[in-house]
Amino acid sequence: MSEPFEPKIIAFVCTYCTYAGADLAGTSRLKYAPNVRIVRLPCTGRISPMFLLKALQKGADGVLVSGCHPGDCHFTHGNYHARRRWMVFRSLLDFLGISPERVKFSWISAAEGGKFADLINSVTEDIRKLGPFDQYKELIRETETPATL
Amino acid sequence: MITQEKYRTRVKELLASNSVKMVIGYKQGSTADRRRPLFVRSFEEADELVLDSNCIGNLAGYLVTEGLLSDEKRVGIFLRPEGIRSINILAAESQLNPEQIIIFGFDTSGREVKALQGEQAEDFSGLIDSLKEKPPEKSSDALLYRIDQMNTEERFAFWKDEFSRCIKCYACRQACPMCYCRRCIVDSNQPQWINTSSHTLGNFEWNIVRAFHLAGRCVGCGNCDRACPVNIPLRFINARMAQEVFESFDHYAGTSQTQEPVLASFNKDDSETFIL
Ligand code: SF4
Ligand code: SF4
Repeated sequence: MSEPFEPKIIAFVCTYCTYAGADLAGTSRLKYAPNVRIVRLPCTGRISPMFLLKALQKGADGVLVSGCHPGDCHFTHGNYHARRRWMVFRSLLDFLGISPERVKFSWISAAEGGKFADLINSVTEDIRKLGPFDQYKELIRETETPATL
Repeated sequence: MITQEKYRTRVKELLASNSVKMVIGYKQGSTADRRRPLFVRSFEEADELVLDSNCIGNLAGYLVTEGLLSDEKRVGIFLRPEGIRSINILAAESQLNPEQIIIFGFDTSGREVKALQGEQAEDFSGLIDSLKEKPPEKSSDALLYRIDQMNTEERFAFWKDEFSRCIKCYACRQACPMCYCRRCIVDSNQPQWINTSSHTLGNFEWNIVRAFHLAGRCVGCGNCDRACPVNIPLRFINARMAQEVFESFDHYAGTSQTQEPVLASFNKDDSETFIL
């Protein structure tokens, strides 16, 4: 029997809100799905779409991007810039056939440890339902096979 | 023909009075219906200028050639409305001083060529505003219709097939007046964001990034689409991005020289429905 599918999810989070929220989830001893690898960045405004593509390129099945709620950004408006970028980026992925369901966005504050744990669980479940990102993995495999003449 | 003659005369006038150092226009290309860029510095060259419905390329990109405008002399250029919008964007992004640009505006309908009134980019603001007001034409393109009807998997398969042909020649980038970065993200290798080999994966990434960097900046001139040697329908991707910024942010690229770049600005009330 093959092993049940465990999705690999990369979360890009800002250090001031969502990372602190994740920390709170930890110190509150909340249990959540272990499928997420967190990458901490200074601000959502620093999260380039390139990071998301890189995560997929390296075999992630899903990506989560999360930061401070609107109005709460440590740098006052990094998250507003990020929001615009995501809106456009999402519609681009959708048009090219990369399901926006694989790329999730959320606002989680430093006080929302519970929301963080719940979100990780629900995102993990969603991606699990979608299954591995085989279409992309096939492209990744193609880059690994030696060239033939 | 009348417009062509009128503009040839005007080009000579400007050259004679030293008002411009050069005029960028079109001349006869390698086949009867092709036009190539012409850089006019003399009367003889002015006589080679051609202006007809085959003049479709957007010449604005030549203006950001390194050093061309640094002597602060003026340069004339033949532009369609999309080209004029490119000038506004380049000015808004501090790539050129619009006062240095003398525009020979024209537009075509069928084989008919008509001159546009004005010489400086701002003279055309009324025209560009009216283009923005016109609801974006619902494309009757059968292929686009098909893409729109597809589900996610089918769309992925469609684009995978298209992008698998990409040879990473970057002609789409070179041809685009808005792609002026001296160091493009695909040329950076520390870190290397995009696979450089022309595997479908890297091609996918390249085309995603190209489209994203042009979101809200593309004027739909079609230079990229025509330049692509393997006929990937880049116009659809560009148009989808233009539609997105128009619907979400009421942004129409290149309306004025002071227009804020759409992805470098924000509105606190930007409304989305997908953030959890
Ligand atoms: S992306 Fe293509 S259509 Fe858009 S401005 Fe550049 S060359 Fe023109
Ligand atoms: S012009 Fe076409 S083949 Fe060349 S890099 Fe662009 S999309 Fe690829």
